[in-house]
Amino acid sequence: MNGFTGGGGELGLTGADLTLLIRDVLARGASFRFLARGSSMWPFILEGDVVTLSPLNGEPPRIGEVVAFSHPRAKGLCIHRIVEIRGEKYLIGGDNNRRPDGVFAISDLLGRVTRVERNGKTLSFGLGPEKRWIPWLRRWGISRWLHSRAVKTVYHLYRRVRE
Amino acid sequence: MEDEATLEGRYRPSEDVVARVIEGELVIIPLKAGVGDMEDELFSLNPTGREVWNRFNGERTLGEIVREIAEEYEGESAEIERDIIGLACVLLQRKLISAVS
Repeated sequence: MNGFTGGGGELGLTGADLTLLIRDVLARGASFRFLARGSSMWPFILEGDVVTLSPLNGEPPRIGEVVAFSHPRAKGLCIHRIVEIRGEKYLIGGDNNRRPDGVFAISDLLGRVTRVERNGKTLSFGLGPEKRWIPWLRRWGISRWLHSRAVKTVYHLYRRVRE
Repeated sequence: MEDEATLEGRYRPSEDVVARVIEGELVIIPLKAGVGDMEDELFSLNPTGREVWNRFNGERTLGEIVREIAEEYEGESAEIERDIIGLACVLLQRKLISAVS
């Protein structure tokens, strides 16, 4: 049997491959559960969190929702937040990024994040009703304060104490 | 036993799987309870495994698949038979293929 199996989970799927696989799964009306990478959505989604992505099902996303899309510059999958709706287009950006990614059409969006798991526990903060305020905080520059080293250090200490 | 593959059995990919070739491997994700789980359920086959998978069309028996693969690849027939039956058992257990009655 070992002569037939591949690397499996060790494939480390990223970028275009992961995007295609997600498209296939969501097109079947199913959700897709996978490991998040990077720190652009700190503190709501961290590297190693397990994210569940669900199809849009014809329901346009709202401000504050976290969506997945294929980033044209990074040529990879991004999971970032809708910070503004401009007509039928969406301004999207990472919570931990100073600059938004750009404006995207709904056809560019793969699905919405419906669940985030960290250390086996489901997180709700950042995906509940408060998600609508996060883009405002960002616009008012409060997110810059969140970027400060002092706040990050305090947050990491808090996490360590909790764990 | 439901998960035991036999040489007389005919098998085909389950309806609730998504399969795609990535980096030469066939990545198979079962859709369980409406979720494709890349973290806990992903299964992949190398190019030889893909050759076997592609023959699970519900028409060939496992014995016929063994014969075809044995003709194509050098190796001891008994070993190939054992390996293919083993693979079919694992795929059945994971519900990635199902028996055709």
